[in-house]
Amino acid sequence: MNDDLAIEVKELRKSFGSLQAVRGISFQAAKGEILSLLGPNGAGKSTTISMLAGLIAPDGGQASIMGHSITSQPHQARACVGVVPQDIALYPDLSARENLSFWGKMYGLRGAMLKSRVEEVLQVIGLTERQHDRVGAFSGGMKRRVNIGAALLHTPAVIIMDEPTVGIDPQSRRYILDNVKELMRQGMTVLYTTHYMEEAAELSDHIAIMDQGQIIAYGTHDELIRLVGEQTRLDLGLSVEAEGILPAWQEVEGVFQATASDGIATVLVDDSNRVLPRLFESAGKAGVRINSVDIHEPNLESVFLHLTGKALRDD
Amino acid sequence: MRILDIAIKDLQQILRDRRAFLFIVAMPLVFTFFMGFAYRSMSQAPDPRLPIGLVDQDAGGELSQALGEGLAQAESFRLEAISAEQAENAVRSGKLAAALVVPPGFTRSVLAGTESQLELVVDPFSNRGQSVMEMVRPLVMHLYSSVEIAEMSLRAVESHIPFSSEVARQQELLAAFDTSWRAWDTSSEQGIAVEQVTSPPQAAHAEPFAGNPYNQASPGILVMFTLFGLITSATLLVQERRARTLQRMLTTALHTWEIMAGHLLAMFTLVLLQGLLLVVFGQLALGVNYLRQPLGVLLVMVSLAAWASALGLLIGTVAKGDEQVIVIAMISMFLLSALGGTWFPLEGAGRAFAAVGRLTPTAWAMTGFQNLLVRGLSFESTLLPFAIQLAYALGIFALAAWQFRRQAN
Ligand SMILES: Nc1ncnc2c1ncn2[C@@H]1O[C@H](COP(=O)(O)OP(=O)(O)O)[C@@H](O)[C@H]1O
Ligand SMILES: [Mg+2]
Repeated sequence: MNDDLAIEVKELRKSFGSLQAVRGISFQAAKGEILSLLGPNGAGKSTTISMLAGLIAPDGGQASIMGHSITSQPHQARACVGVVPQDIALYPDLSARENLSFWGKMYGLRGAMLKSRVEEVLQVIGLTERQHDRVGAFSGGMKRRVNIGAALLHTPAVIIMDEPTVGIDPQSRRYILDNVKELMRQGMTVLYTTHYMEEAAELSDHIAIMDQGQIIAYGTHDELIRLVGEQTRLDLGLSVEAEGILPAWQEVEGVFQATASDGIATVLVDDSNRVLPRLFESAGKAGVRINSVDIHEPNLESVFLHLTGKALRDD
Repeated sequence: MRILDIAIKDLQQILRDRRAFLFIVAMPLVFTFFMGFAYRSMSQAPDPRLPIGLVDQDAGGELSQALGEGLAQAESFRLEAISAEQAENAVRSGKLAAALVVPPGFTRSVLAGTESQLELVVDPFSNRGQSVMEMVRPLVMHLYSSVEIAEMSLRAVESHIPFSSEVARQQELLAAFDTSWRAWDTSSEQGIAVEQVTSPPQAAHAEPFAGNPYNQASPGILVMFTLFGLITSATLLVQERRARTLQRMLTTALHTWEIMAGHLLAMFTLVLLQGLLLVVFGQLALGVNYLRQPLGVLLVMVSLAAWASALGLLIGTVAKGDEQVIVIAMISMFLLSALGGTWFPLEGAGRAFAAVGRLTPTAWAMTGFQNLLVRGLSFESTLLPFAIQLAYALGIFALAAWQFRRQAN
């Protein structure tokens, strides 16, 4: 067993009746990294997490958290983890503070330690001012924040978050994503599931793309992008008579291809940051005006499309 | 420690629920009053003895006096002296079941051997009338036979030593009658026993519920509402599942048994507190003397709380939603309350009913209370009800634990 691994999953399997929800997946998360499980609804992300959290028993395979097997040492394994469930799991008739305090106790905190951790977490999730209000009266975003906070109280080595940003306002989402990055800075390992590729892209050190119970791709963001080729597409708005610039652009370093139609030049480049200034320079020399720029960097959406032939999101 | 935390959290939730206050405190208090009133009117039920009038036109006569005493002593009759004119009307209107008319000079005529008829004013076709005829007849026969026996014994004496005067003979005859009448009186106990069977149950003088109807109502409502109160705490378990907080608990290092024990402790505490409240109320406001045997009352309540909370755990685990909790809890409450004698003592119920009732844990809780409150028994009388209720608690808990574990996995 590797001491640097926070999470190690090998050939984990789970079926519900005839439905194979998880079909022998393997992945690892090093200590202190953020690993995202990215996949559409029904991919098997929650099932995987339920197995890691000890809520359901795997049909086969192994997994360990901080070196503790989830099957033979479930209690030690659970003690290292804070699980943020996909559904909000709080007591609506208790206040935010009472909820946090209760869950802190469930994680074994007491007395002064409990009190100071509750204060800290309230600070982190930005609800110090609303701490005495009933959770039931909170907005969706605020509930989500308490839902996350409850898993942080005992400063676990590993945090598992199951789609923590589903159905909330952009502001709360921003808050949560910033929290996650902060946790990683504090040295926690985060396993993060989502079907939003922007979140996976922004947060993750590594991403495992999951579909139909399998991991179909694994790597850093850049490694995954490379799977579809690294070309960035630039759409540049020009006046129609300026299309004569295209042959010159073909010669610019880093440009693979330049075409135009209806006043839009489509240029495929290797790195927009390096190439765009050269295109502007060349246009300037030729007296051509560029009146709009659209950069289409390859994203995980295109990776998923490339790998499965379908869109990641249906919304 | 975490068990305690879970229990405290549960209680916190319950105490914040206004509906819980209604279920656990307000309703049982109101019902105790209500049931107490119902029993009070029951114990003030009309005198079961048959009202019978005596028209004594032979005032001072020894025989009519004996007859009056005989009627007054019969436990089936309530005797009322009336005038001859009232007799017919009182019987016709049903105010009296019958009236016995003793004609003028009755004693003298009978002793002189001349005919003199007693008259019974009665409706021979009514049930009451028939009962009276049946019960008065032996008394009258007894009277005449006593006179006859006295006459016969006097004649035997007379044949050896004649009386000095007629007055002396009369005196001796009366003395002989008295002896014979009283001798019969003591030996005719069986006759009275027969009367008792045909008459409504006696109980006219024995006070039901040891003199205070709340001796039944207060513990009865206590036991019944213990089950009613389970709705609140069992609903909590369902909500715990639905809000996924149960699943979240399972992701912490908690053991399943700790979660169960926490909820059980909360329910146990709640039932016990509710019971104590009703006991204090019964003691202070209703004059039910729970404090005569505080330890015995505690034993009964603790064992009641044990099986009731286990039942709450089972209901909360088995029920799929809030509505199911209410339905299951209400059915359990009505069945166990009615069968277990919380509404009326099982002693007064039919034999089969009582036998089935004995199988419920509620019956044992009631037995425990009644032993102390109604029968005035000592603390030891609660040991058996205590033990049996604990056995129920263990059984129900085993069932609940099995279900709970099955669901947690
Ligand atoms: N308890 C369950 N019983 C039956 N099927 C389930 C259960 N949980 C999940 N599934 C099915 O397993 C598949 C994977 O579900 P899930 O792990 O929740 O996916 P995700 O979290 O990626 O959206 C889905 O088809 C889902 O319907
Ligand atoms: Mg999911």
